[in-house]
Amino acid sequence: MIDRDRVRTVMRKDWVEVVRSPQSLAALLVVPAVFVVALPTVVLLLARQPGFVESADDVRPLLDVIPAGLLPEGLDEVQQLVYVVVVFLLAPFFLLIPVMVASVTASSSVVGEKERRTIEGLLYTPLTDRELVLAKILGSVLPAVAITWLSFLVYTVLVNVLGWPLLGRLYFPTWTWAVIMLLVVPAIAFLGTSLVVAVSGRATTVQGAQGVAVLVVLPVVGLVVGQAAGVALLDVPVALVAAGAIVVLDVVLFRFAVGRFQRERVLTQL
Amino acid sequence: MTRVTTAPARSTDPVVSASGLTRRFGDRVAVADLDLAITAGHAFGLLGPNGAGKTTTVRLLNGLLPPTSGSVTLFGEPLTPASADRLRARVGVQTDTNLYESLSVSENLRTWGRLYGLRGAALDRRIDDVLDLLRLTDRTRSLVGELSKGMRQKLSVGRAILHDPALLYLDEPTAGLDPEAAVELLDHVREMMRTSGTTVVICTHQLYGLETLCDDVGIIAGGRMAVSGPVAALIAQRWPQPELTIDVVSEGERAAAVVAGETGTTPERTGGRLRLTLPAGAQPRVVVAALVRAGVDVAAVVPTQRTVQDLYFATIDAGQAREDATEVAR
Repeated sequence: MIDRDRVRTVMRKDWVEVVRSPQSLAALLVVPAVFVVALPTVVLLLARQPGFVESADDVRPLLDVIPAGLLPEGLDEVQQLVYVVVVFLLAPFFLLIPVMVASVTASSSVVGEKERRTIEGLLYTPLTDRELVLAKILGSVLPAVAITWLSFLVYTVLVNVLGWPLLGRLYFPTWTWAVIMLLVVPAIAFLGTSLVVAVSGRATTVQGAQGVAVLVVLPVVGLVVGQAAGVALLDVPVALVAAGAIVVLDVVLFRFAVGRFQRERVLTQL
Repeated sequence: MTRVTTAPARSTDPVVSASGLTRRFGDRVAVADLDLAITAGHAFGLLGPNGAGKTTTVRLLNGLLPPTSGSVTLFGEPLTPASADRLRARVGVQTDTNLYESLSVSENLRTWGRLYGLRGAALDRRIDDVLDLLRLTDRTRSLVGELSKGMRQKLSVGRAILHDPALLYLDEPTAGLDPEAAVELLDHVREMMRTSGTTVVICTHQLYGLETLCDDVGIIAGGRMAVSGPVAALIAQRWPQPELTIDVVSEGERAAAVVAGETGTTPERTGGRLRLTLPAGAQPRVVVAALVRAGVDVAAVVPTQRTVQDLYFATIDAGQAREDATEVAR
């Protein structure tokens, strides 16, 4: 049986450590800031300039492959381009944010504890392997999801405010992105973190543990590219199926991470 | 291994015991065929040079490492992967592992208290008590990264005793402490043993005065327990005959001859100081009387008090001599 209070205690301790580390905070906030603020601001300000349509040659082919139902009706070409960039090209980065944030915090909280020689103290307590692994995963997943949701809120406000002069309406988030935020983001954050924690017991450096997150990042990057190419467009049914599939993977990977966690390795590979 | 047993003063129930405990790392044997039983309410000194296997032994006794062979019993239950986490709730361990530097003193203790099941007012009270005991009350809000080495050491001990464990492991608990703090800490350990019946296992190189704390010691070398048992019994076994130091005012050479003639043992002589181990049946007063009769002016006669430190060096030296002999034989 899992003692929730012990799990919460380790999670809370990990959060305090992250919040009080300027390096960790910077690593967590820079990527969302670029994706959420910098990129959409540049795009939406450029969209107001004459010649935007001509400068968006690379994006225009996407208009031809997007199924009619996924684009609102009555948009002119500029409006369509803005909509495509905001909804189909930039928004998929919200799937990268939780994986990247969670992998940074998870690798730091497991391998970092090994490097700082603090983890043996935890191992001498009544914490079970399952509790420790769950605490390390949730301690990274929850902040990652919170940062992603906060970023999404900022992005939503920003693209609607900056996009209002162009589209004259609130156009983001779409139902697809609402589903993705609520279901896919937590699931994919859990997936990336579980993977990092599973290898962290054996990794000796933070960078080594973070490297494995590439296994989750790459499919997400593929999804971003797929969106850009118009071959893997997300809609509500696809998002629901993806969320279900990732949750199944989460359960499998969590069990794997617990089974793979060995106090002996953690102690002898400090 | 030399094992001496005497009737324990408090309880006969071992809190922790090991039988044939062996742990290998590849070809290297870290702990070999180790047997021990630590009685409830006793303090056991686990002594040995660096790399002797003390840390591995403590990890094995807490279920952090599985043994290659042998078994451990903790609080009367076999220590298994299924029982280890539950049994560890009654154990406190102070080692050289680090505290969380970006957390304050009280945040560190609060984290540990909660992991051991302390909550609310009871946890607050216990943190206050421990900080008061360790004289860290004025540093409650300081980050651990801002503390001196000695203060961190105190806090790591505080972390181990916070939940009032039934079994307490201390690894060099007084390292880095000023003499006053070291005395206070060991006094508190004695108090815990007296009032709560806490069983203590102490790993240390600080041998001076250890016999005043430890009921039993085990000296480990090369992963093997060379000797273990009650301190007084081990010393009596190692040095069964009384030893004397006799200071004479002059005529050291003649005094040595008189002592040799009386006891049949030639004493070690350094100027006017003679050291000798009395043979079986010989009495100190008889030796002194012989010196007086011979007209030797005796200034002092002091029976030699053997200590844990003497036992430690004698045991390690004997082990080294055996190893050297084995090497030569090969």
